[in-house]
Amino acid sequence: MSTLFLRDRWFEDLPVGEFHVFGSHTFSELEIVEFAEAFDPRPQSTDPVQARRNHRQGLVASPWLITAKWMRKMVDYMEVYAHGVNDGRRNGAGVAINNLDWLEPVRPGHTVTYTYEIIDKPDRVIREKWGLIRSRNEAFNQYSNKVMQFEIDILAERRPNRSNDI
Amino acid sequence: MTTSFTPSGHLNSEPLTLDKNAIVAFASRFDPQPYHLDSEAAEQSIFGGLCASGWHIAALATRLVSETLLQNGHPFVEMISVSQLRWSQPIFVNEQISVRIALDASLSESPIPGTRAQSLQVDVCNGEGAEVAKMSATVAISAESVLEARP
Repeated sequence: MSTLFLRDRWFEDLPVGEFHVFGSHTFSELEIVEFAEAFDPRPQSTDPVQARRNHRQGLVASPWLITAKWMRKMVDYMEVYAHGVNDGRRNGAGVAINNLDWLEPVRPGHTVTYTYEIIDKPDRVIREKWGLIRSRNEAFNQYSNKVMQFEIDILAERRPNRSNDI
Repeated sequence: MTTSFTPSGHLNSEPLTLDKNAIVAFASRFDPQPYHLDSEAAEQSIFGGLCASGWHIAALATRLVSETLLQNGHPFVEMISVSQLRWSQPIFVNEQISVRIALDASLSESPIPGTRAQSLQVDVCNGEGAEVAKMSATVAISAESVLEARP
């Protein structure tokens, strides 16, 4: 089945090893400051002047802005490649994250590229309807240095046992 | 003065309330899925109602952790890593969240200059005290305060 119809697939159709590049984002000073003020008010992310003198020696993005942008890139990517799917079969809701590391600071002007690879399909059925897709997600800056990584378990709907549902 | 790190001590944050505007504002920028944006669509979804993005909860929990650690004499510098994060229940419109923090006894080397790494278990609870998320995290604490706390 074509990956163009990424979300038009059941749990059973998603193969371990499938790899996607969600895209890139260049972080601006304004969005770094705005996010930090709203959600994670640390001086290294809210005050460009004070940040120059602190441990990061300059403004850095909140770690949660880097992951929030991952989420946005994933949603946008899935929407583009999920043509015609509105029946709830989306692999949307995340339930757990493991091994989330922020490895290098992300600064204003840095461009971060987000990648996704299905690494496992844990043997669990949730509410008789959902399976779990475990993916490894990585983010790289413009120097090809990894700045973030984590694994996430996301629900995907299992194929119903009805012959007219294919 | 700085309080000491107690191996079995718990710290509790103040609660904060998530209204619809806050939920939708975060989701429209970072997690624009129907169950975080649109009440009617959310009722038909797996969650059964409009609820906050899990990333919104994680960021706010970190904010509550940093404020609570600061108030208790542990100058939080930044989050280093999260070995586990589980979302167990949605947070719906006008629900409260608060965090309960357990500090692990040991401090380790931090990759951030001038800090030590502190491991924490964070329970995120709703207004009824039920756990809605759980996080095992390592945070950077200012090294100066650690020296003060451990003469």
